Amino acid sequence: MNDMRHADTEELLALRDGEGTAWTRSHVDACAACAAELYRLEQVRARLKALPAFTPPRERWSVIGPMVRRERRQRFWRGAVGLATAAALTAVTFVAVRPAPSNAVAERAALARAMARSQTLEQALKAVRPDQRALNGDAAQAVAELQDQLSRIDAQLADPAAWKDRDGGRAVDLWQQRAGVLGALVDVHTTRAAMASF
Amino acid sequence: MADTIPLAEARSLVARARAGDHDALEHLYRVYEGSVYTLARRLTRTAEDAEDVLQETFLEVCRSLGSWRGEGSLWGWVRTIAASKAMMRYRREKLRETDQLDDDVAGNRFAVDVPLRLDLESALQRLPERTRAVVWLHDVEGYTHEEIAELMGMTTSFSKSQLARAHQRLRRWLGEEAIT
Repeated sequence: MNDMRHADTEELLALRDGEGTAWTRSHVDACAACAAELYRLEQVRARLKALPAFTPPRERWSVIGPMVRRERRQRFWRGAVGLATAAALTAVTFVAVRPAPSNAVAERAALARAMARSQTLEQALKAVRPDQRALNGDAAQAVAELQDQLSRIDAQLADPAAWKDRDGGRAVDLWQQRAGVLGALVDVHTTRAAMASF
Repeated sequence: MADTIPLAEARSLVARARAGDHDALEHLYRVYEGSVYTLARRLTRTAEDAEDVLQETFLEVCRSLGSWRGEGSLWGWVRTIAASKAMMRYRREKLRETDQLDDDVAGNRFAVDVPLRLDLESALQRLPERTRAVVWLHDVEGYTHEEIAELMGMTTSFSKSQLARAHQRLRRWLGEEAIT
């Protein structure tokens, strides 16, 4: 074995971390200087781990929390619009392929009206930029409940297999309900906007 | 650091946060705020940079809660996001410090820098940013060289050599004698 040289720092660190070579281990066993250096490296690591933690100098949740809420609202609306579009396609397909009973034409017309109204209100809601409005407690609660209702309706619209065989008019009901909830949301936000302008 | 909350509690907290419970999100923030900030202070240049990393980390945590599978340490998952955010700052700012360190030390193990008698905190802060990150991630956080290489977009050899050179510098700055 040639021990004419000392182990270098990289070799000693590898040994410290349990990955050293047989040569390094053998050399350290026989070399007091390298054994001392290995011990020093272990001590530095222990001292690094013992350094005190830092504390954020400022309260940050007051900044981060509202940003998180805003992002979540934006995701909610993006999701709601996407789901409603998918639901509309599903419902239209369902009505279009049904056998034509005597009231089919009237039902189809009612569905088209409800869907059109829902889509108009959705555009109106987007126009008032609800994600950029801070609401007071009562208004926020009302909006949260309306959004929950909207989510439940969209979930049903997205799964027509659960009701289409039992109730052919269910699609019209759901789209009318959806338009009603969207109308309420528009009212809440436009009222809030009007109050804020005073 | 070890995870400060048990796995079952972490799963419950994340499930509530995913369901839209804002209090759960805030609790998550409170649990890890100090650890993320400390890590960010060690990996970045200034307190302001660390605050930015803290903010970016928790925004990402809130966006990505669904990707935590509830199997490993929640702190480990949060820490990876924080480290990634800090590393992204290096790439954005195109730091050159480590290259400079390479030039200074190359070919001469102990010739650079006069011996100092700094305390460890000061010596650590004196290291170039990316070199300090390698030391902290490996020696304190327990990252392997492979993990550091992946995080930094560098090679494993780079991580190993940076660690060794950093320890050589620390020895000089701490006023400790080198083997001859």
